[in-house]
Amino acid sequence: MIRIIDNTLTGFDGLLPSKDDLYLFCKLLVIIGVDMIELSVAAYEKMKELPEEGNYVLRIEFVDEMIKYPGFSRYTCHHEANQEKIICEVQMNDVREIVKLRALSNCKELRITGLDDLMCASYDKTMKEIKRALPNSKINFCPENTYKCASALAVQWLLNYGNDVTTSFAGWKNNGATEEVIMALRLAVRHKPNRDLTVLPVLKELFEKITGTRISNKKPVIGKNIFKVEAGIHADGINKNPATYEAYEPGCVGGRSEIVIGKHSGIKAVKLKMEELDLVIPEDRIVEKILNLVKEVCMEKGTSLKDEEFERLTVEVISHERN
Amino acid sequence: MKEIKYIVDTTLRDGEQSPGIALRTKDKVKIAKLLDEIGVYEVEAGVPCISPAEADGISEIIENTQNAKISVWSRMNINDVKYSIGCKPHILHIGTPVSYIQIYSKLKKNKAWVQKNILECVDIAKSSGVDVTVGLEDASRSDIGFILSLIKELKKAGVNIIRLADTVGILTPNRTKEIVETIKVHSDVEIEMHVHNDLGMAVANSIVGAKAGAAYVDCTLFGIGERTGNCNFYDFVHASESIFHFAMNKKQIKNVEEKSYQQLKGAM
Repeated sequence: MIRIIDNTLTGFDGLLPSKDDLYLFCKLLVIIGVDMIELSVAAYEKMKELPEEGNYVLRIEFVDEMIKYPGFSRYTCHHEANQEKIICEVQMNDVREIVKLRALSNCKELRITGLDDLMCASYDKTMKEIKRALPNSKINFCPENTYKCASALAVQWLLNYGNDVTTSFAGWKNNGATEEVIMALRLAVRHKPNRDLTVLPVLKELFEKITGTRISNKKPVIGKNIFKVEAGIHADGINKNPATYEAYEPGCVGGRSEIVIGKHSGIKAVKLKMEELDLVIPEDRIVEKILNLVKEVCMEKGTSLKDEEFERLTVEVISHERN
Repeated sequence: MKEIKYIVDTTLRDGEQSPGIALRTKDKVKIAKLLDEIGVYEVEAGVPCISPAEADGISEIIENTQNAKISVWSRMNINDVKYSIGCKPHILHIGTPVSYIQIYSKLKKNKAWVQKNILECVDIAKSSGVDVTVGLEDASRSDIGFILSLIKELKKAGVNIIRLADTVGILTPNRTKEIVETIKVHSDVEIEMHVHNDLGMAVANSIVGAKAGAAYVDCTLFGIGERTGNCNFYDFVHASESIFHFAMNKKQIKNVEEKSYQQLKGAM
């Protein structure tokens, strides 16, 4: 069974989230399908108690801290330990280091962090070797993202070799992005199709509030502009059948398709936008004039048009035609 | 020795399709020149059929670049192909829907129609002396049997490079490898990877595709493009320079990004 551990909450220590923010963050992670939530001691101490929903992992410095903080499903620790509930973490910066894994075969659960460059190496062969080196251990893979391949590596591990990964929301901890891995699994193997991803915009907003950062408009799954479409051929295709140009229905992640009028728009996109704005669609000759003017204005401005700009331009062309 | 891979930069075509920017001719010429200077193999300069101004702009790009091949994008439509040839590009790229959803739902046609049409389009372009590459749109959701039979016909018609387009960005590394390897087993056609970043895997899939035999990789500056964007040029070279040889280095790409940031920032 696939297990996704999200370790975003080990990366908020230098920030000042409130107890309520942390609490809500955990609840939302559970809703989107995270199996285990990993916290730092500082985050746990701020929360005081954990939400009833979900399984929790505490990141500790030394194994004996387990006694001080009882009640967690698992504990992650850098130190090697052959103990129940401990996930021993090992950093590997190079594929050649995997030979060292045999020395850790006594660990019941092991997290391998790093291996950023695995995509350039023979990743499938290496993943098999990792499994072979640790036949009796549960291996959690936490690929890092220096080369922008972490989500792909995490998914590859889950689909073909292992069943346990660590990721973080939006890849905050320089590892795979939780939401990307969840969506990829949903599309590839229908993993947890009933989990509610419509809360992702709320989770994103909360994340931005806590971290004081802004998620890129183009960020996969959660970016603000990822369902905006301008090219005529795409706008037309999406109107006929959204699946032609969308990997998944935007509504399932709390988004919606939006036609933007600009330099690349076509007649059909212009008509669709007019319909959306409740404008009367004139004869094709005039729509073409509107489209030509749209292109001219956009080239001049160097950007697409906002809806109100398009509406103003349309009204002007139509009234000019009437006079 | 590292394998040589060629960068096809589509910032001025797929990148510009990102809502939020509308490049003027002078912007496009400037960016194309920068890409040409650092050794980009092919600059996909735009879609002539958008407007006469766009077509004129592409002609200006051709005049102002030296080494890069300048390509234009056209729909699989005879009139569009004829119009696009008018710009005198080095390469005409014809986008050809190959998945059932694109063929039956968007085009409302069938596979036989697609095959007949693309071969007609290729013939028209070829007889005008223009080199042609064909983009297999939505290849990642297509029947591999249809792709292979189409490639066979395209090869007979003189097409030597096909673009494997992950139009909706759903490929995973293993699936990418499987498709590229299957094509390579059945044909000696050259492959160009064109992936989107919908699942955050554009760089990984481009690397895997190139390792499996694709000689050309489509990228954009800052990774701009439809929805979540295309394969980020800098990130791709950064991630794979240890195994591939490129005409340019990371510093040069950063320099181009810095110089074109003002023109492209609206797409980010």
